[in-house]
Amino acid sequence: MNLIDRYVREVGKHLPAKSREDIEKELKSTLEDMIEDRIEQSGAARDEAMEIELLKEYGSPEKVAGTYYPNQYLIGPRMFPLFTMVLKIVGTVLSVLAIVGLTVGLGKVGFAGREFAQVLMQKVFEYVGIAITAFGNIVLVFAILERTLPDSEIKDLNPNEPWDPATLPDEEQPNAVKRGDLIAGVIFGFAGLIMLNFYPEIFGMPINFNDDENWYFIPVLSDAFFRFLPWINIVCLAQIGLDLYLIRQNTWSNISRVGKLLVESAGLAITITLLRIPNIIGFSPESFSNLPIQADDARAVMEILGYIFPFILVIVLIVQLIEIAKSAYGFWKVNYKMK
Amino acid sequence: MANSESLDNVVLELRRGVIVLAVLSQLSGEQYGYSLLKLLSDQGLEVDQGTLYPLLRRLEAQGLLESVWKLEEARPRRYYVISAEGRKLLPKLKKEWADIVSVMKKMLA
Repeated sequence: MNLIDRYVREVGKHLPAKSREDIEKELKSTLEDMIEDRIEQSGAARDEAMEIELLKEYGSPEKVAGTYYPNQYLIGPRMFPLFTMVLKIVGTVLSVLAIVGLTVGLGKVGFAGREFAQVLMQKVFEYVGIAITAFGNIVLVFAILERTLPDSEIKDLNPNEPWDPATLPDEEQPNAVKRGDLIAGVIFGFAGLIMLNFYPEIFGMPINFNDDENWYFIPVLSDAFFRFLPWINIVCLAQIGLDLYLIRQNTWSNISRVGKLLVESAGLAITITLLRIPNIIGFSPESFSNLPIQADDARAVMEILGYIFPFILVIVLIVQLIEIAKSAYGFWKVNYKMK
Repeated sequence: MANSESLDNVVLELRRGVIVLAVLSQLSGEQYGYSLLKLLSDQGLEVDQGTLYPLLRRLEAQGLLESVWKLEEARPRRYYVISAEGRKLLPKLKKEWADIVSVMKKMLA
């Protein structure tokens, strides 16, 4: 097999089977024409050096094959709108089924004990598996359709809603205040303050033992946590005050941005301190002494809470970091980037 | 260097737009790929093989060209010729091109 045949075969390896033979045949014919042309022009005899020079000029097999199929998609632009639409529908249906299934499953075993943790983990893994399988199947079906359906069929399948320029978002106002978010912040801030200061016992865990109808409520937060209550109150009140000020002003200023950064940083400092304090949870084996629960189950509940509470604090910490980053970016954007 | 590359890219884009018209205009008679390449080159339009061959296949898939394999000089060659549909389209493309040239002449004057 000469160099040109080897080259043509190599190009063919990167081409789809349905057009491979045809393209290979035409490519070989072209290369032979080009060699012949060079022999005529130079008067030299055909040799391997001449073939090497020609093939170098023609380009690597991958590049040549790529010119025939420049955009090789698993799911191309013509199918993509329909693909995302189907994905959204299936995703919504699966999410609803997952929530219903999880609620029913947990309702059967109650919200306590090892069984609760087992069912929770089992259901989560089950639905993640189902979601991955569903996604894989949808991708597979669309990848097949991409390669088999003619354009005319695909045009009829795609959603073709008329586009309205009125739906374009308004011009970006970097100092605009989102009043709805602020009002919600004030309401939830006040609600949180009232609950923490006047009804601290409601921060706890409802537990149902032995699948009976009796539910028990065990407060979770310890005295160590409540020692920080004055600081939490100050930060919450500062946040509420700032939100009320912003609602009134209806625009961000440098003072309010710096104020927000300070309040959020203080909140972050409290969260970090709470994370570093041991015994922040008021649960102890004694908490179960008057309850109908086995010692093993009590330990399991404590273990779960030992993970859940720091986990919640870590999520709060991440949200606070994001908020600080957003505030800092807003400050920089208005004062430096836009000038 | 960067300017030279930018110029090359812009020239390539400009040429890409006219290759379809050039190819259709030269295929009133049968031509195989390499002979067409030389025909275009002889008239001053240099086209890369990597552009021409895929374009010929695309135009054939669109029904604007027809092709047939013929055995010549001991090797097969694929001959292309403009189809009936391509012949109908060509005058419209020519008019479009004339309009573009006229507009651009005014713009660049």
